[in-house]
Amino acid sequence: MIHVGNLWKKFGRFDALRGLSFDVPEGSAFALIGANGAGKTTTIKVLMNIIEATRGSATLLGVDSRKISPRELARIGYVSENQDMPSRLTVEEYVAYLRPFYSTWDRDLEASIARQLRLPLERKIGNLSHGMRMKMALMCALPYRPKLLILDEPFSGLDPLVRDEFMEGLLEQAGEMTILISSHELGEIDGVATHVAFLDEGKLLFQESMSDLTGRFREVRVTLEAEAAPPRQAPKEWMQIRTIGNVLTFVDTHFDENGLGELVRSRIAGVRGIDSQPMALRSIFTALARAARDGGA
Amino acid sequence: MVWHIFKKDWKLAWVFVLVVAVVHWIDSAITYKIGLFDEDPMLAMLADAVPMLAFFASMFLIGAIVHLDSIPGVREDWLVRPISRWDLALEKFLFVVVMVNGPIFAAVLLQGLANRFSFRLSFAAAAWQVTFFLFAFTLPIFSFASVTRNLTQAFIFGCSCSFIILGFQTVAGYVNGRAHGTLESISWSGIGWVGETARFALSVAAAVVILRLQYFHRKTLLSRCLVLLFGVALLATQFIPWNVAFAIEQRLSPKPGAGMSTVFAFSPQLDKFRSPSGLRASSDQGRRYNLGEHMWVYLPLQVTRTQRDAFLLTDLVEVRLIGQGGKVAFHGRGESLEFKDDGTKNNSLYQGIQVPASVYREIKDGAVRAEVNYSLTLFGLKESYSIPALDGNERMPGFGWCETKLNEVETAVELRCMQPGKGPSCATLLLENETTGQRNPARSSCQGDYSPYSGWYFGDNMAHFGANVPFRDPSGLAKFPVDGPQLPNSRIVIRVYEPEDHFTRSLVIPEVKLKDWEAQ
Repeated sequence: MIHVGNLWKKFGRFDALRGLSFDVPEGSAFALIGANGAGKTTTIKVLMNIIEATRGSATLLGVDSRKISPRELARIGYVSENQDMPSRLTVEEYVAYLRPFYSTWDRDLEASIARQLRLPLERKIGNLSHGMRMKMALMCALPYRPKLLILDEPFSGLDPLVRDEFMEGLLEQAGEMTILISSHELGEIDGVATHVAFLDEGKLLFQESMSDLTGRFREVRVTLEAEAAPPRQAPKEWMQIRTIGNVLTFVDTHFDENGLGELVRSRIAGVRGIDSQPMALRSIFTALARAARDGGA
Repeated sequence: MVWHIFKKDWKLAWVFVLVVAVVHWIDSAITYKIGLFDEDPMLAMLADAVPMLAFFASMFLIGAIVHLDSIPGVREDWLVRPISRWDLALEKFLFVVVMVNGPIFAAVLLQGLANRFSFRLSFAAAAWQVTFFLFAFTLPIFSFASVTRNLTQAFIFGCSCSFIILGFQTVAGYVNGRAHGTLESISWSGIGWVGETARFALSVAAAVVILRLQYFHRKTLLSRCLVLLFGVALLATQFIPWNVAFAIEQRLSPKPGAGMSTVFAFSPQLDKFRSPSGLRASSDQGRRYNLGEHMWVYLPLQVTRTQRDAFLLTDLVEVRLIGQGGKVAFHGRGESLEFKDDGTKNNSLYQGIQVPASVYREIKDGAVRAEVNYSLTLFGLKESYSIPALDGNERMPGFGWCETKLNEVETAVELRCMQPGKGPSCATLLLENETTGQRNPARSSCQGDYSPYSGWYFGDNMAHFGANVPFRDPSGLAKFPVDGPQLPNSRIVIRVYEPEDHFTRSLVIPEVKLKDWEAQ
């Protein structure tokens, strides 16, 4: 559905994207995660042909993003926190303005989304709160049943209630849509994303399915007989090695249930017990971000 | 989808559109109310200020319309909608034309009709005005607005461009001054329209290139560079060589060859030029003597073989004074001349040359070679009209609507006229007593504008023209044959001249001593 190959984007001397490559499979919910300034929004703007890449290629729906035409845009929904809509029109007026541009616009669906998101149709867009504007952007992106929905930091600045309403609205209509979502609000993505790509300083650190990712990351807690000390030669897959009393903890980035005990015992003496826990996406992200910051990712 | 986007823009901008339209209509109403004699000082003040306001309001309106779906920037919602770029560009163009130029068209048309000009004349004037405005103003501002994201950005970018223009003009003015006005020669002359047309052509070309780049490729940086590049090219058009522009004008002469027999000759047997007294032709007026660091020299000339009832006007007088050894001691512009063969034997005139004092001191006693190149226009009599000298109110087909009245100090008859479109280029006016047939000396009023079209940046497309025809000299030095008591029986005779031929003449005086022709 989306292919990005060796994408570079320079802003003056600053490299916002540095040889980024990833693929978004059809029907997936693909999360682009990374800290602020990692290049998520830039990637999406290149995909939508809002800005031009310095070099590299990006295709979506089989079309070069630089040649994206109204035909493709009619099959793409886009929601962004940075989306300027005419503030002097009411919600209803703007939706009415957009309708004729989409041949597949479903007015019943529009009404149902408006009800679900509890949008004040008669209010001017300029008088909407940030959360309302995001919900409105979602409402303007769904009634034509896009093949591809691109969400750029959709949860930014939303309170929990609005987030829930937004997510409910999104999930209800998701169907077989392919979703590309960029966010650092990992709690929201956790239950939605099927694939994830992690960006750091314009580079892709990894891309894999959510099940693989959560499957290979474990928080391991090793209880020792004596005062714990970090192993002299820890495997490179172990991150965030810490000791507290006789307990040593680390994050295993290549978790193998069968081989973990043997590996731990081969590196650490006096092991009394080993316990491993699955990690939430947020914890995985934090571990990776810290490792990247410390140059160890 | 053009109409659909059009309706959206109307919803968003109708208040601004109406406000600007009302400003244009107020401007028109003021001009109408002023009439021919702008006697009300308040209205006269408004008539100066409101057109300027309308001009800037139109500029901001165009910007606001374009910025409703601005091209630069990354936040605009239209970028992610299936909106055809072609539809958007076309809609913006149409919206700007209808909402900005439409009210101007209506204002000019209604003003023409309100002044009781025919629908055909009023419509033609309105059509010319909006066409002029479209090419000279709307399109350039439209393309300029397309490279900015909002009015703040447009204002900052506009101010930066203004500073560049100001700097360029200052340097150009200085360089031109050093060259005694020989560089920037076509501006403010009858053939200034050649430069103006070149500017329109460049503006349209720039607008097409920039709008295409912006609406279809969104190359804002490149477009902004092009704005500056085209801007410099526009400024450079003021340096179009005189010979090139005048050659174009010559090709457009209505009667080529009509001035072929005209001869300019140096006439040393004439006396030195003396200070004029009483009334003479306007070519003698306003002469100044020994102005600061300059000296005036007047070379006596004779003009022969002009047509009767023809009027000769110099468009440019280029003078070279060449000293011994062939070195050009002075290269500059000579004083403009008007010559009318009125049937008398007096066909002499004096060519004034303002020579820098330092140059004059060096060459005044020696023999110099004087080369004077004339670019000339011969005007032929087109039509004669007349109107009562007191409280006249006439509509003269081909000339317009005119009124006359006495001026406040009762020394002259004020004639004021109005005509849709372009006014007459040249006319002479004289007072004639219908009973006795006596006449006062004619006064000429030449605008020397040979532009084939009419249009203004400010106000309506009405030519307002006129002159004061004196009948009493308050100092008592001059005595007029037709004076105050005869006015009730007198008419102002208006003779309208139109350009027939544009041609050049060269006068070479192999040896002349400047001191002999110094002004007295």
